[in-house]
Amino acid sequence: MAYNVLIVDDSATMRALIRKVLTIAGFDLGECLEAGNGREALAHLEDYWVDLVLSDLHMPEMNGLQLVEAMRRHHLWQQIPVVLITTESRQEIMAPLLAGGGIQGYIRKPFRPEDIREKLHTVLGEAWLPDARQFEGCDF
Amino acid sequence: MLDNLKAATFEVLETMFFVFPENLEEASGMFHGPGLRAWVPVAGPQRFRIGLTLPLSLAREMAVNFLGLEKDDLTPQQVEDVVKEAANMVAGNFLSKEEVPAAYNLEPPQALGLDLDAQAWQENSHHLLMAVEDVGLEVFLEKTK
Repeated sequence: MAYNVLIVDDSATMRALIRKVLTIAGFDLGECLEAGNGREALAHLEDYWVDLVLSDLHMPEMNGLQLVEAMRRHHLWQQIPVVLITTESRQEIMAPLLAGGGIQGYIRKPFRPEDIREKLHTVLGEAWLPDARQFEGCDF
Repeated sequence: MLDNLKAATFEVLETMFFVFPENLEEASGMFHGPGLRAWVPVAGPQRFRIGLTLPLSLAREMAVNFLGLEKDDLTPQQVEDVVKEAANMVAGNFLSKEEVPAAYNLEPPQALGLDLDAQAWQENSHHLLMAVEDVGLEVFLEKTK
């Protein structure tokens, strides 16, 4: 099954890297959409079916937290898994998000492709898991 | 505090940019030519900024490693974005290591180009000087207004 993924980050460079790492990780990527902040992400959600949102936390205009709140209030988007990819890992901020079901997980920058793979495996289950041999010796 | 800043820098640069800084007394003499400075303002009860200064040659090497592109295919904007992202990661990593209260938040990174030969380079309690092979790398934590 190919997954439609929405990558939300105010850095185009970071979005390009995440897209590349998904490919390296053997992720079965369908449509890959990109947004520079939460507001743009919501506009994409209006227009496309999205299976997974990978979002930064700190962004201008509408940050990742506000995006998650808006998604959880919407009847069509509240079940879409959200994984934050962020420099933030202070428990004071992340623990309530995880406990309240706002997000399904987070990946702390800096990350390795294996970190992405393991987290998505946890969030999405076995279905997408690639052949582990694809990972041997891989880098960015 | 500086130990955590140093640890954050090493972790970020080694994991995502595949460059390996080291402490070197001679680092202050390794800043030459055109350079880039990128920093992340931190807003909260007190304001400060965390950032990096490095020669353009090192910035380009980091961008090549980060994006997997050939050096000649990189645009100046991509190089700047990569150094901003590095500063962002160092700052976020540092705040986590220091367990800084949630009242402090990272703002979008900023960057400027500068002539490294026109600056004075000296390590002190808020500026760390390191070397990456034969060029210098500064990491700083400064209070701002």
